[in-house]
Amino acid sequence: MTSSILVTALQYLGYILIFPGFLFCFLCGNLLIGIDRKLVARMQKRVGPPILQPFYDFFKLCGKETIIPAAASKTTFLLAPLVGLAALVVLQLFIPIRGFSAFSGTADIIVLLYLLLIPALAGILGAAASGSPYAGVGLSREMVTVIACELPLVLVLLAIAKAVGDGTGAGLCFSMGAISEYQIAHGSLICKASMIPAAIAFLMVIPGETGNHPFDAAEAETEICEGMLAEYSGAPLAVYKLTHAVKVLTLTSLFVALFLGGVGVGIPAVDALIVFALCIVVTAIFISLVHAVTARLKIEQLFKYYWTVVSGLALVSLVLAWYGL
Amino acid sequence: MNLMNLMDYHHFPIYSIMVLFLGAFVVAACGTKPSKNLKNPAGARAWIALLATALSLFFLICLVKPVMLGGEIIAYWMGNRAIAGGYAIGIALEVDALSLFFGLLIATAVFVSCLYSIRYMVHDDCVPQYYTLYCMLAGGVLGLVLSGDIFNMFVMVEILTFAAVALTAFRTKVYGALEAAFKYLVVGCMGSTAILAGVIMLYAQYHTLNLAQLATLIPGSMNNATKLAFAFLYIGFSTKAFIVPFHPLAADAHGAAPASISVLISGVLTKSGIYGIIRITYFLFQTMGLGTMQFMLVFIGSVSMFVCVTMALAQHDFKRLLAYHSISQIGYVLAAVGLASGLGFSAGLYHAMNHTLFKGLLFLAAGAVLHETGTTDLGKLGGLSKKMPHTTVLFLVGAFSISGVPPFNGFASKWMIYQATYQRAVETGNIGFLAVTIVALITSVLTLASFVKVTQSVFFGQLPAEYENVKEVPFGMRLAMGILAALCIFTGLFPRLVTTYLTEPAANAILNVGSYIRSMGFKSELILQRADFSQAGVWEPVSWLLILCIALLAVTIVAVASKYDSVSENREKNVAAKYQLFYGGEENVFSQVGGGDLFWGFKHNWRHYFGFMHELHSGVVNDYALWAVVALALAISFMMIVL
Repeated sequence: MTSSILVTALQYLGYILIFPGFLFCFLCGNLLIGIDRKLVARMQKRVGPPILQPFYDFFKLCGKETIIPAAASKTTFLLAPLVGLAALVVLQLFIPIRGFSAFSGTADIIVLLYLLLIPALAGILGAAASGSPYAGVGLSREMVTVIACELPLVLVLLAIAKAVGDGTGAGLCFSMGAISEYQIAHGSLICKASMIPAAIAFLMVIPGETGNHPFDAAEAETEICEGMLAEYSGAPLAVYKLTHAVKVLTLTSLFVALFLGGVGVGIPAVDALIVFALCIVVTAIFISLVHAVTARLKIEQLFKYYWTVVSGLALVSLVLAWYGL
Repeated sequence: MNLMNLMDYHHFPIYSIMVLFLGAFVVAACGTKPSKNLKNPAGARAWIALLATALSLFFLICLVKPVMLGGEIIAYWMGNRAIAGGYAIGIALEVDALSLFFGLLIATAVFVSCLYSIRYMVHDDCVPQYYTLYCMLAGGVLGLVLSGDIFNMFVMVEILTFAAVALTAFRTKVYGALEAAFKYLVVGCMGSTAILAGVIMLYAQYHTLNLAQLATLIPGSMNNATKLAFAFLYIGFSTKAFIVPFHPLAADAHGAAPASISVLISGVLTKSGIYGIIRITYFLFQTMGLGTMQFMLVFIGSVSMFVCVTMALAQHDFKRLLAYHSISQIGYVLAAVGLASGLGFSAGLYHAMNHTLFKGLLFLAAGAVLHETGTTDLGKLGGLSKKMPHTTVLFLVGAFSISGVPPFNGFASKWMIYQATYQRAVETGNIGFLAVTIVALITSVLTLASFVKVTQSVFFGQLPAEYENVKEVPFGMRLAMGILAALCIFTGLFPRLVTTYLTEPAANAILNVGSYIRSMGFKSELILQRADFSQAGVWEPVSWLLILCIALLAVTIVAVASKYDSVSENREKNVAAKYQLFYGGEENVFSQVGGGDLFWGFKHNWRHYFGFMHELHSGVVNDYALWAVVALALAISFMMIVL
């Protein structure tokens, strides 16, 4: 009896720490970033860093001294990056990999929508706590970016809830597990005509949520000294870089789970590889390619873009799903 | 009558009201001479008020078992009068789960705020009078929600309105206090008069004032006069809830009133308005199944939540900002309650409770800032987290709760509201309800933005030189905030507990008008029904938090092991340039990013909307009175057409 509890506990601990938790996030996230950097470099006719460069950067930063500004509130300043990373890894645990989900009964898509806010919020609080005016400008832009991305995300998720709800006969469906199972049974959602605009909208949201070009007004190295990260150095900065990497993984795998959930063979290990391969494809096209060919948008342009073009696309999907198309 | 008889719980409703009015009387009888104790100028009077509020809360908590769990409805006739000749002639209290639910919220807020007042009101004149008015206000609201007849509801509305007006104007030296009180008085009195007019019209037709009896008579015999009465009552209670178009009053009143009173205005007074609207629409007029009525309540709720959150984004005063958020959250409550489904009621009431808790907490935190710095101007404050660490943490709990960050309580109730609205949209096929879900979700993120602004410009950022000597607030004030923060976290972590023991009984009470009528001794054909509380999604805050804690622990251990915080220098006042803020080699200057323009990128795109809103909210009381008249006219025509 006790041994079975111990095994269950160890199993869950394994989920959290190894797969699909920390170790998985750390490896895959950094790999995605490495591939992204290499691809962007090749597109710009540069040689680019080795694919493992994000790992080298991470360990190098961890060895550096952490400087805490005199104006900063120390606890919040140091705690914020950790909370952000932990929340993001927990979020990754709820994203099913073709039917396999470590903790299925804990959160649905509305919760997911809010959990996505926590890393951004942690970053904002950390930046505010640093006391730097650059960070102040950065956090303001980050918040506007979050508001900008929220509307299309909401519309996309509601469209999915309705489409899957109609398919299963429940009327509406907020559960990630049910969305995944529906796709395994009826084929991926992206094959439905009504979901294509939503999928495109979601893909457009990915670089905004992760703060990649051209939606990186919040960081804008050349302009406001990396904004929210202006005061960070050493290990906390490493954590932030890792958070960004994991966020790329989370959003791309969320896309795969929501729209390409039917792809796979049924063996968890193989499916995980397939999902990761799909993540690489999505990253390559919608983060790297977009990065290479665009210039940074101003914050008000960014906001307008998301609330008109992207939200419009998502709205089309929602209306189509609403009328059962 | 022996003592055991007196301690019968059927007497508790009247006791809970009585102790508050008795408290007001005793405080007043103690005279107006301030005590010599500088830490508590009201002396024993403050403790009397605290005792009264504590007793009132105690009596209501004792009622939880029979009313919430046992499903009993307490009908209590004052002076042993009863029904004579088929008509209710005496004064009656009737406490069902709905009344008790609101009563508990009110008593909790009143008690916590009173605890806070003791140390908070030290700088003011006339503090002894403050407690008299305080108890009157509390007693008025509690009397309103426990009352079993509509005329007493009006009397209590009058008592609470005048006490609230006087308390709004309490700090007469504060700029704008008298003006705010005057505005509140004018529009508040229009509201009270509307309620009185509605009551008169009902009495003229049905010859009774008893809520239960009216509920038996009205639904079958709706005529134009009844509809007119409905419109008047609805508008009257709207002014008490400050929903659109009465929201500007709240901003002025909150900005001027002491923080402990803002807690009551936002956490308690608005609830009395919501309670009144629920009572008249679902009990007296029983418009449960009417799509158009649902549409009106949901529409006004959505407009309130969106307009007020955008108004809040444009504010640069801490308390005015909170005031607009308060109405925005009331919009959520109204929209959910307007759905008239079991889940909708449960979600709306849950949010009403959370609103009392987190809004109270936020106002108390604003009060703490005002107490120590003397200002609530977001442009002047900054960096207080180093001077007031406890207040900062407590404020953050409130801010996370109101913005709906999991696992705090605001999230649990908003999550239910999204489901309730979306479920209703799918059931009816009405795309309007879908729009409500979207508006609610967007409002939530705008709320978060607004609180990021407050956090950045009050608690974080750089500390202005004049606040170098600011200290943490006294323990009594922190204790009051701590109680509310603990409740915020508790109700967020255990949503099942809250829904099972509090909101679902109350939601069932709304749906079962028949038992409300029968408990009073009248006949009703309405059958008993059980609501459906099934939800479409899953949310397990405790297991989520457990996973998060394990994850956080793992990250922290790794981080600490890798010399996460490796600064070893002893940082004195004059630190090395290395530890100054990063300015790329230039000298460190004071450059706080203020609240006013923090979300420029957002506001720029919405400039026409904000310009329009700015012109609309002129701050002239004549305009607001005109809004009230127009709202009344619209309500009357609406009722005439749809009922």
